[in-house]
Amino acid sequence: MLHNIRTARRARAVVSGLGAGSLLLAGVVACTPSTGGSDAGGSKPKTLHMLYATAEANAAAVQSLLPAFKQKFGIDLQVDTQPYDALQQKVFSEFASGSSYYDIVIVDTPWAPALVAQLEPLSKYIDDTKLNDMAKVDIGDFIPKVFYDTAVYDKSAPNKHFADSSPNPSTAAIAKAGFDVYGLPIQANAQVMAYRKDMFNDPKEKAGHQAATGQALDVPKTWDEFTKVAKYFTRPDKKLYGTTVMAGVGDWATDDFKSLLAAWGGNGHLVGDDLKLEFNTPQGVAALQYYSDLINKEKVVPPGSTSASWDEAASLFNSGATAMTMNYHALALDSGVKGEIGYATVPKGQAQGPHFGTWMLGINKNSVNKDWAYRAITWLTAADQQVTMTKLQLHPTRTSVYAQVTGSGEADPSVKNFYQVLGDSLAVGVGRARLTNYTEVSNAIAKAVNLAATGSKTPQAALDDAAIEVRRLLTEAGYKVPSS
Amino acid sequence: MTRTPHEAESVRRPVPSAIPSSADSSRSVPPARRAGRGRPHRWSTKLAPWALMSPAMLVLMLMTIAPAIYLVWSSLRNDTLLGSGGRFVGLQNYQDALTNPNVLRSLLITGGFVLAAVTVEMLLGLLLAVPLATQSRSNNLAAALMLLPFAVAPAVSAMMFKELLNPNYGWIDHYMGVLGLPAHVEWLSNTNTAWIALIGLDVWQWTPFVALILMAGIQSLPKEPLEAAAIDGASTWQTFRHVTLPMLAPFLAIALTLRTIQAFKTFDAFKILTGGGPGASTEIINLGIYRVALQSFRIGAASALAMVLLILLSLLVPILLRAVGRNADPEQA
Repeated sequence: MLHNIRTARRARAVVSGLGAGSLLLAGVVACTPSTGGSDAGGSKPKTLHMLYATAEANAAAVQSLLPAFKQKFGIDLQVDTQPYDALQQKVFSEFASGSSYYDIVIVDTPWAPALVAQLEPLSKYIDDTKLNDMAKVDIGDFIPKVFYDTAVYDKSAPNKHFADSSPNPSTAAIAKAGFDVYGLPIQANAQVMAYRKDMFNDPKEKAGHQAATGQALDVPKTWDEFTKVAKYFTRPDKKLYGTTVMAGVGDWATDDFKSLLAAWGGNGHLVGDDLKLEFNTPQGVAALQYYSDLINKEKVVPPGSTSASWDEAASLFNSGATAMTMNYHALALDSGVKGEIGYATVPKGQAQGPHFGTWMLGINKNSVNKDWAYRAITWLTAADQQVTMTKLQLHPTRTSVYAQVTGSGEADPSVKNFYQVLGDSLAVGVGRARLTNYTEVSNAIAKAVNLAATGSKTPQAALDDAAIEVRRLLTEAGYKVPSS
Repeated sequence: MTRTPHEAESVRRPVPSAIPSSADSSRSVPPARRAGRGRPHRWSTKLAPWALMSPAMLVLMLMTIAPAIYLVWSSLRNDTLLGSGGRFVGLQNYQDALTNPNVLRSLLITGGFVLAAVTVEMLLGLLLAVPLATQSRSNNLAAALMLLPFAVAPAVSAMMFKELLNPNYGWIDHYMGVLGLPAHVEWLSNTNTAWIALIGLDVWQWTPFVALILMAGIQSLPKEPLEAAAIDGASTWQTFRHVTLPMLAPFLAIALTLRTIQAFKTFDAFKILTGGGPGASTEIINLGIYRVALQSFRIGAASALAMVLLILLSLLVPILLRAVGRNADPEQA
């Protein structure tokens, strides 16, 4: 009897363990791929469905166009928005289930290598004049680096970048190299420097800086100048610091590092197209040493910077705790802080390559409304619509839009300043490595950045350990990593 | 403690039952009726429980057993969510997981967190439950207030904690300064303080859960043994240690088992507060599984990692029940 009770109890425990584990792993047991639908010959649908992000890709700006879209197309565009993590899972599960519900899907660059096979190649649509009746697609107007990095892929080798030396994107050149276009860029985020314009223009500060350093107080253009200015403004007794860093474990730390790596002359992609690891190099070590010194030697960052993300960095700058910051979007000082924000490109080293990441609108290959979906994304990403959306702080992707919003027509000098800097940063920026497990790779590098930032490891040791981990991650994901 | 003869007798004394014994019932049924109904009765006796259990078993099968079987199958393949080239790889995913020092370290970190957090919660929960178990208006109010922490979504409480701990404008830093304690403590930048924050959040959120289970347990305990101990002159501590605590063992076992399983599933607090940092010092296994499963969508690898955790949990829970619940069975008391 006792034995039976114990056996039953053990069985119940095992079952409850299984149950708990199964609940824990609900996300793992996902669906299986299936084949897609077919184009319905371009018949006009009543509604197009679009899966979109939230603030990350400025959903409000896109949603503001919906009445105009209805008027122009005579059909509804239903936009479903999801925050970042939920959006990624939704996008992947939609494609995994072969769903045709969403005609248009927003894609962030880290996801694209895994999603390319699920997206409709667009070259044939771009070259078909009949499908370009609603708006001019004009791919030559997209900022070349942004367009190539975001939308141009070789489906058979999605880890490769299209050589972005061509000044004007064209489908002929893209097809000749074996690539195709898998979307149209709609929102481009780049790391830019923001600074307290009021403090930099303050005569007392100018005199104080002159007295302290023997140099005029200017917005730093090099990393050496950046350190000096940050040191000058650091006054812990007044709760004021030179700058923020985003050294907490997360994609933000990797982004900070890759901008510095590019500035120190390294490959800001971190991993080359040939899968060679390019972050544990002398340039990488020097860049990370500089980052660590800002925190531990120069002490120009506020407390908590080594656990900060872009949210904390923005909060600190907005609250007046720092004179400078680097982030991906326009900032706004808190109501209690009297001052003005100016923007500049991140400082230069031997080179310049601020991190950028862009969102594109792609067409679900299973959609039955591909022609109209194409017309829709062409219209949504056209210059006129992008100009309209800049009123709600969209980060445009077209050269002509930047020319317009930074030209004489724009009255607000701070808006003009921000877009000028964003456009300049995108023109020289560096995107991400094209890896199906980029998030894992980025996390391994972020840990190394964090360890160096907290002073727990030397930059060399931290990057060497990260290289071992990244090599293992890439191998597990099926990549063949060169031995050195 | 040695039981008094009075206590021992009270424990062994047969419980009066309203249900007649089988011998009695056999006498009350006429032989003809027993013979006529014997076979169908046995048949229905065998099948009826299964029939009654079948809806629950079906749900269990669909919601837990089938996914678990699929999980095992997935763990033997190298599928990705969108890849078409997945194939059977045998135990390769397990080999990758178990030879990866980071995975092993994550498992150890997870185990350490569960051990520390659940131990503190059990002790504090017991300390809270004993005084609050007495039925009074103020205790009822306190019990209702205790519900609040675990009524808050873990992600929300983690975000609140992150703001409270901010060394630049957080309340904790402010009041530490007011009290003359060190200010500008970078809680989440240092391994030790990050652990204090993470365990502190878990303890704040889940101690009331333990306390409520134990309160209910204390309130349901029979009064006779306590009265007997009092008559025998046992002190408050002796009564608690040798009478209340052993009788509370089934409730302790329930609280410990549930909290252990829940603690192994912790995710939000680590993702929001530290992301596994500083470095990888708070990298619990669930963070790794999340990245592999729901960001890289490497389903085979994630399934193997999950299976490792599942097996560990499945082994641990019976051990816990046996260790804590040794005295839980009234037949063994």
